[in-house]
Amino acid sequence: MSSSEPSTIRDLPMSASQPSAVGEAPIPSGESNPIREAITQALGEHKVILFMKGTPEAPACGFSARTVAALQSLDVPFAAVDVLPDPRIRQELSAISNWPTIPQLFANGELVGGCDIVTEMYESGELAEALL
Amino acid sequence: MPFPEEIKQRIEAAIPGAHAEVEDYTGGGDHFRATVTAEAFAGRSRIEQHRLVYEIFGAEIGGPIHALSLKTQSPQQTPTQ
Repeated sequence: MSSSEPSTIRDLPMSASQPSAVGEAPIPSGESNPIREAITQALGEHKVILFMKGTPEAPACGFSARTVAALQSLDVPFAAVDVLPDPRIRQELSAISNWPTIPQLFANGELVGGCDIVTEMYESGELAEALL
Repeated sequence: MPFPEEIKQRIEAAIPGAHAEVEDYTGGGDHFRATVTAEAFAGRSRIEQHRLVYEIFGAEIGGPIHALSLKTQSPQQTPTQ
């Protein structure tokens, strides 16, 4: 956890926070990229973080819902980011993770997987260990 | 519109020796489920295995292919179910 300037987190629509107010223009590569920086910071600050469609309370996609259910049944605390308010969140996230689909679950800054992998790991009992 | 048979053929063409079973699980032509068995998966993590398949379709994932649910395994593995 960084003690200084955790404020870029608010650029992402974290669960239960206000939606972001970012604009529509694409971000040229090589220039300041606040969305990518906010994602990177969020990955560093949250041990377990899920990028999903909708919120844990109101998932907007069955795959996101299933992934949330697996985490909740393990009783693992996790941060959640809704990618829907701004398409650039998904673009930047996929560029960082080299993973094309949503949801994406990260633990300790590393991609654990999407819905299929998380479900498989939950059923095999591996998921809890991966989130330690 | 992509069809299960087309997706199966593209996976099997792109990954040598792969065997794929693909179903359209909503019947809408955009949500697919694939089980892929390939020697190329041996020794790779699940994430790497899925990336090998996703890379075949590039930007079509999330576009015309709304969802491609994957189960991957090498021939030596028993299916993890």
